[in-house]
Amino acid sequence: MSIPDYMQCAEDHQTVLVVVQPVGIVPEDQFFRIYKRIASVNQVSIRDSQRLLYIRYRHHYPPENNEWGDFQTHRKVVGLIAVTTCGSAKEWPQTSERFHGQKEVFGSTLYDSRLFVFELQGEIAEQARTDVAFYPSYDNCEDVEKRVEDFVESIFIVLESKRLDRATDKSGDKIPLLCVPFEKKDFVGLDTDSRHYKKRCQGRMRKHVGDLCLQAGMLQDALVHYHMAVELLRSVNDFLWLGAALEGLCSASVIYHYPGGTGGKSGGRKPSISQAADAGKRHRPGAQEVLIDPGALTTNGISADTSSEIGRAKNCLSPEDIIEKYKEAISYYGKYKNAGVIELEACVKAVRVLAIQKRAMEASEFLQNAVYINLGQLSEEEKIQRYSILSELYDLIGFHRKSAFFKRVAAMQCVAPTIPEPGWRACYKLLLETLPGYSLSLDPKDFCKGTHRGWAAVQMRLLHELVYASRRMGNPGLSVRHLSFLLQTMLDFLSDQEKKEVTQSLENYTSKCPGGMEVLMMPDGLKLPPVPFTKLPIVRSVKLLNLPVILRPHKVKGLLGQNMSTKSPFIYSPIIMHNRGEERGKKIEFQWVQGDVCEVQLMVYNPMPFELRVENMGLLTSGVEFESLPAALSLPAESGLYPVTLVGVPRTAGNITVNGYHTSVFGVNSDCLLESLPGVKTGGCTVEVVPALPRLQLSTSLPRSANALQPPSGEELSSSVSVQLFNGETQQLVITLENIGTELLETLEVTSRTVNTKEKLFGEFLSWNLDEALSHFPLKPGQVVTLTVNIKVKLDFSGQENLLQDLNDDGISVTGLPISSPLRQVLKPRAESKPVSAESSKTEYNHVKTLEAILNFRYSGGAGHVEGYYRELSLGVHLDVEPSVLFTRVSTLPATSTRQCHLLLDVFNSTEHELTVSAKNNQDLVLHASECQRMAIQVDKFDFDSLPQPDEEKVRFTNPKLLEEERQQAQGYEINSKLGICWQIISFPRILLCPPG
Amino acid sequence: MAVCIAVIAKENYPLYIRSVPTENELKFHYTVHTSLDVVEEKISAVGKALVDQRELYLGLLYPTEDYKVYGYVTNSKVKFVIVVDSSNTSLRDNEIRSMFRKLHNSFTDVMCNPFYNPGDPIQSKAFDSMVSAMMVQAC
Repeated sequence: MSIPDYMQCAEDHQTVLVVVQPVGIVPEDQFFRIYKRIASVNQVSIRDSQRLLYIRYRHHYPPENNEWGDFQTHRKVVGLIAVTTCGSAKEWPQTSERFHGQKEVFGSTLYDSRLFVFELQGEIAEQARTDVAFYPSYDNCEDVEKRVEDFVESIFIVLESKRLDRATDKSGDKIPLLCVPFEKKDFVGLDTDSRHYKKRCQGRMRKHVGDLCLQAGMLQDALVHYHMAVELLRSVNDFLWLGAALEGLCSASVIYHYPGGTGGKSGGRKPSISQAADAGKRHRPGAQEVLIDPGALTTNGISADTSSEIGRAKNCLSPEDIIEKYKEAISYYGKYKNAGVIELEACVKAVRVLAIQKRAMEASEFLQNAVYINLGQLSEEEKIQRYSILSELYDLIGFHRKSAFFKRVAAMQCVAPTIPEPGWRACYKLLLETLPGYSLSLDPKDFCKGTHRGWAAVQMRLLHELVYASRRMGNPGLSVRHLSFLLQTMLDFLSDQEKKEVTQSLENYTSKCPGGMEVLMMPDGLKLPPVPFTKLPIVRSVKLLNLPVILRPHKVKGLLGQNMSTKSPFIYSPIIMHNRGEERGKKIEFQWVQGDVCEVQLMVYNPMPFELRVENMGLLTSGVEFESLPAALSLPAESGLYPVTLVGVPRTAGNITVNGYHTSVFGVNSDCLLESLPGVKTGGCTVEVVPALPRLQLSTSLPRSANALQPPSGEELSSSVSVQLFNGETQQLVITLENIGTELLETLEVTSRTVNTKEKLFGEFLSWNLDEALSHFPLKPGQVVTLTVNIKVKLDFSGQENLLQDLNDDGISVTGLPISSPLRQVLKPRAESKPVSAESSKTEYNHVKTLEAILNFRYSGGAGHVEGYYRELSLGVHLDVEPSVLFTRVSTLPATSTRQCHLLLDVFNSTEHELTVSAKNNQDLVLHASECQRMAIQVDKFDFDSLPQPDEEKVRFTNPKLLEEERQQAQGYEINSKLGICWQIISFPRILLCPPG
Repeated sequence: MAVCIAVIAKENYPLYIRSVPTENELKFHYTVHTSLDVVEEKISAVGKALVDQRELYLGLLYPTEDYKVYGYVTNSKVKFVIVVDSSNTSLRDNEIRSMFRKLHNSFTDVMCNPFYNPGDPIQSKAFDSMVSAMMVQAC
């Protein structure tokens, strides 16, 4: 006997073996359908005797194993069911012939046999054979089970008769010596009359009867017989059979103690509801019989009295004893080289018992022993089977690592170099089964939290083997998936060299089969979840960026609930709603705009010892339709934190949530979700996208300012221009606005604001007329509108009067005439100011004053306008104002007409250019640089009282000082308009100015 | 004397493993890894019995054809495994015990190092040299 049945368990000793085989040509699937139905009849309750008969079915059984049938009767094939197809009556004789041939194979041991004939057309002459059943087709055979039950009952009758026959052998009869195949030659020429020989015969027969009793459902009788057999065989040192008797004792006790069976799922027992009740009762029927017919035992010639054994429970071994006896039995089997299979099977059975008893340590000793049992030359297939079963048994006793180890050995055996056709598929399947033993799951999610679990060195090895096996299987998709998994989860344990190798082979595989994010389904139902490369590169922080200043949307203020939290009706509450858990979900202050490019900044680093090329890196979002614009980057080896900006365009309005990013590294596409990334800092990932707004581009006729304005309160400017002007000069600033967006520009508001100046400013600094521009509205995308802004500076440079001091030729010095308030100089000469400035240096002479202002363009249009959003452009205007013409002294002379007078002005040119000054009705006066001349203008006298008085209302509420200033200004304008003094720098034809008073 | 010495963390991953024939290191990884089954079984058995909990030495875990595997577990469930050659029959149980005791002392020193992070692989030179001494001895 050379082929062990690893599935055997102790309770198989009580079964009878029935072989079901096809005869002739039977389609395999049909045969197994019938086989399954037959095998479902695995326990039959015998009429009239309250006993249960258990049947073990095999569709393949090596005849040489059958030869051990006397040794352990459950190894004996006692029934044969042949399944055949017989198309017509003509074929019948041949089929019948075959059936008989089949019976011959197990002929010596068969109790009974049956032939099931399918698909027979027509009648068969020969009729009324009880062992043949005819069925019209494989689908139409309702009473197969019933037939099998009848068949089993017929087997039982034979079994029972054999049992009684053997049990009642008279002492006078010669008891034949039962022996196993390899013993036969040993007994040739032995003295058959010796006491020793007789005892041996008795012992063996006793054991045999025990087996039959057990099969026939008489547990207690079996125990008694086994006990006696043990005594007899021990006395003659018949170790092989002693072992068998002990094992029989163990089996019977196991059946008694563990009615649920030890074989687990495949144990063959039907988990029927009556099982529990049966369990208690099972021994009773047999026991009863003993009581009813004690003669069956007492009158047999082998032993004296079994009535002393009436204490039934004592016959049964205790759970501890079962193991002891198994050990003993195995040690006896171990003495015989040819009984290796028996020993191995006994080990397996004992392990199953120990597994039920939860005695893992002892079980492992049995297994350890089983590993070393030498069965001679094993075929590769047998080796695989053996390792697999060892693995299964180790798993049974909770030694998962050991189990995994053997399963892996079995897997390797499938592809051993000696095998002509390596079974990579089987190898791969077995390797997959080892995963739990190495605390590996193929789901990367199990790895991202906390520390790495398990033994990295062996895990890595296993993953490499999976990769290799799947590649040899011809499934590069699997290889890529496993290799990705290896790289992702074992990154910390790979050496630099290994990292290089793994990525190289990954790139090789992906060149044929790119890796993706789909779940790979194995034919056997296994799912391989995708492996996103969250560590290539490692992302440390994710930050959503606000739009650039010029593109930020603003909400029209004044709408109800603008700044109020909608969550609470209170304006202020000391109780802050803490939503700690929703840190990621928290909303961000700023908004994005539909249709505009939005940015997210990631801080990443490359853990690899070589340059990492990340392709197609883009954002994963939800909420609104988002067009991601992927980027490709290349990170240097073991880079530090490296900022990466990912961009995209939201295509609809609403709330957008950035869930993660996708990359393509080494040909593997990964979708990395932020929620599954440990240690990523984010300042919120949800942002509101407002409906589309137009975009304006602003360009000006003036050069851009080199030194940007520093606006107050952290405002940012979209652009700024700078210009240099002489005091009193007017310059036109042409602003071109182009709608570069996709929305209609519907509204535009322009405001201006002067900043950073303490200078007193006279008149409008910036002025414009929007009507012309607005007439083009709404402005279609791509269209341009221009706006002309007049820049006019009128500053008071009178602080520089000191410089003019030496120019004064009489005592009545006046301040440098501020353009807009000539009145002051005319009416109140300020002599008192003179001496102070005597020491002032020359440098102040060219003192340049600066003026800064911001032009704000608030525009809106499209869907965003409907929602109340607008955008702002701001243009900073930086102005350097140089002093130009100063009036150093003013006096009047009466003119010829009483209605007129002469105004005498001392004009000083503080520029470095030659200029001409002209007034109404006067000739131009040419002034060289730094020259002072007096000019006389004849003007009409006028009365300030004719100027409109500020209304009463205003007077009452405004500060008198302010009122005075206002009045002065009004008077200044009046004078200005009368005089119309202009000057012009000759060398700069472009400048033509009006001012000083 | 010993052919392989391993220190295994509470969570059953190796903190330290060294074997003498370095070319076949993976084999010892497997040997030690599978021995953890027995260690766990023994620990759980001790837990059940509640007796002799002071005994850290687990004795022979299992013999293989070429090697014997011994185990030891600290109170913090850090496991030590020593693999010795089966052919070395002169080795007594007491000697194995003393080896484990030495190993434990040295491990304690490692843990006392304020710069050592519990759970990290052991890279201490002192520990290494102690292990080397144990492996060379009587080889």
